[in-house]
Amino acid sequence: MMTLIIGGSGSGKSAYAEDYMISISEDRKKYYIATMQIYDEEGKRKVERHRMLRGGKGFSTIEQHVDIEKAAGKMEDGDRTALLECISNLTANEMFMEDVPGTEEVITEKIVGGIAALNRELTHLVIVSNNVFEDGNVYDNTTMVYIRAMGRINQKLAEMADEVVEVVVGIPLVVKQKCV
Amino acid sequence: MKLVIGGYAQGKLNYVLQKYDMESCQIWDGGIPMNKSEQRGTVVINHLHYWIKSRIAKDGCPEEEILAFVENCPNCVLISDEVGNGIVSIEAFEREYRERTGRILVELAKKAEEVERVICGIGQKIK
Repeated sequence: MMTLIIGGSGSGKSAYAEDYMISISEDRKKYYIATMQIYDEEGKRKVERHRMLRGGKGFSTIEQHVDIEKAAGKMEDGDRTALLECISNLTANEMFMEDVPGTEEVITEKIVGGIAALNRELTHLVIVSNNVFEDGNVYDNTTMVYIRAMGRINQKLAEMADEVVEVVVGIPLVVKQKCV
Repeated sequence: MKLVIGGYAQGKLNYVLQKYDMESCQIWDGGIPMNKSEQRGTVVINHLHYWIKSRIAKDGCPEEEILAFVENCPNCVLISDEVGNGIVSIEAFEREYRERTGRILVELAKKAEEVERVICGIGQKIK
């Protein structure tokens, strides 16, 4: 089973995704797959805030900044669920890992393939992605490639997902309904 | 308290004014009335995100200030743009503004009797 959760900055998507995970995980082992690389104080504070929000909710954290499929190898055997947060960091990490940024096709294929492989190892994968598409600005070429890659990845993941939810001011709006 | 959100230029204020008898509405633009004597009828706060931005710029605490206002003035409609759906800015202030505005809207949505999202002038009730 796969669920895609999308929202903007400060939309409440993370808090919703965590509560969602708790509601579907039952007694299965719950993993939090963190993709953010920390470069500065602000990044540190962000990670701290997310840790605090997750505190006491019973997640085991796995750091996986690139090659997302490898996260499965760091988990215990058995029934397990995972919350992958988030596609925007993962895409940036994959794109800017080498000196020359990867193309949108290559990045999309790598990330979507990796997530498909990861999903096969889990009972339920919940993915958080970011709405970076609506500010109407034209950025430098690399940023535009990044936005297009994110757009493609979201579309592919939405196609694969059983359920897609957009979070708006903390309120979940179902974009793709789970078949019962 | 009611919350109305949506993108830029989507007709949010017009939508609100059509819905709640314009005569009895008192409109504030990018600001909130500081004391009760200034409030009459339905208080409509337009461009709430501009007010949040100016409070952050002045090192204020818009999170607490807006909750105090709502407590004081339950008969109000708050209108704000959704500002978080873009590329994360390279400017620290812009990042902070978008994140804090988003979180304030999440808190207000929790407290609101009703939340509507306006697109093309049409409101969708999401709470």
